[in-house]
Amino acid sequence: MAQSASSPSRLRIVKATALALLVAAVLLVTAILPAEYGVDPLRTGRFLGLLALADAGPRAITPRDERYRSDTREFVLGPYEFVEYKYRMEQGGGMLYSWQATSSVISDFHSEPDGAAPGYAESFDKREGSQAHGVYQAPFPGVHGWYWENPALRDVRIRLHTSGFYSAAKEYTGGNIIDHAISDEQ
Amino acid sequence: MKSLGWRALLVATCLVLIEAAVTAHPMTGKNATFVQGIQGPAVGPFLYLGAKHMVTGYDHLAFLVGVIFFLYRLRDVLLYVSLFTLGHSITLLVGVIGRVGVNPYLVDTIIGLSVVYKAFENMGGFERLLLIRPSTRIAVLVFGLFHGFGLASKLQEFELSPTGLIANILSFNVGVEIGQGLALSAVLVALGAWRSRSSFLRHAFATNALLMTVGFVLAGHQAVGYFLAGP
Repeated sequence: MAQSASSPSRLRIVKATALALLVAAVLLVTAILPAEYGVDPLRTGRFLGLLALADAGPRAITPRDERYRSDTREFVLGPYEFVEYKYRMEQGGGMLYSWQATSSVISDFHSEPDGAAPGYAESFDKREGSQAHGVYQAPFPGVHGWYWENPALRDVRIRLHTSGFYSAAKEYTGGNIIDHAISDEQ
Repeated sequence: MKSLGWRALLVATCLVLIEAAVTAHPMTGKNATFVQGIQGPAVGPFLYLGAKHMVTGYDHLAFLVGVIFFLYRLRDVLLYVSLFTLGHSITLLVGVIGRVGVNPYLVDTIIGLSVVYKAFENMGGFERLLLIRPSTRIAVLVFGLFHGFGLASKLQEFELSPTGLIANILSFNVGVEIGQGLALSAVLVALGAWRSRSSFLRHAFATNALLMTVGFVLAGHQAVGYFLAGP
């Protein structure tokens, strides 16, 4: 038997190569091409439900049914004071944000998922500086927003502007929770 | 006859280099978000990414299985693996540092064909069917060069920060070798256990035919991707 492995006949090599090519072609045409590229010449991808796989992937545009909002707010923090300002957002909801402060502040963008233990939050962006701009897409439903702290002795004024898909705004200062109307200015 | 096979390889090499010169084909990857946020040297993450790519990159693994399939002595294994490592390290470093934009579909097609080539060689195809005996060492080295372009294209999916670039590429390269070492050890243990049985030689031909099928699938998948995406 060892003989056949070390010196297979020419016919056997041709047959095996042709079979390898044939099997590969069948796999490609019936399953791999439909699933990977949506190319489905024999309609097998449709039959096996593989075409949906080809469509999956990151999307440039995600239309939302929610109302489009925008909001502007200003905070003045005395020495060593802090404030939190957060929006109610659903999963996948996006938001453009931009804030500027008159001097450097400590900031932490974090989110509390619905149903999480009290005090639990996931932090996404901690920084020290006088401004930040960006895009946020909520990874889960919950409240999402900023903590700002004034680390210095003089007052600091922070101006925040956002637009996107959120439904309510809350401010947290020293144990008080204030509900804010979203300004929706033009 | 012998020179004919080499001429074909040479032509393929030139084609890829020409492609490399005229195209840049960025892709989005799974770890891209993380890597793009990195500024400066990050040895650990790039080591990990290199090792992960090698352990989960079955195209490279399939080729290595083909290479060591009939290598019984550890000395030979080390020699051939070193040749492969030399080849892919050269093009990985040159590709990323020189910002050579190799089309990933094209280079992955050739990587798939390298698996076909090696399996065909193991099946005795060159000797018995084509009556040629191309150097196995040069083949491993040359295909190593193509695999390196494949690795480079994976790294180039990320918008790499220029600070710490060299350290990060070297880390990725070392990670690739670590991953290769891990995967090879597993393959060697499995092959070693199998070789001690009589079934090894009985099924060696069929196993390589299967390996060839894998190579054809990989090559076909990437080749179609190349034509769909356009150069």
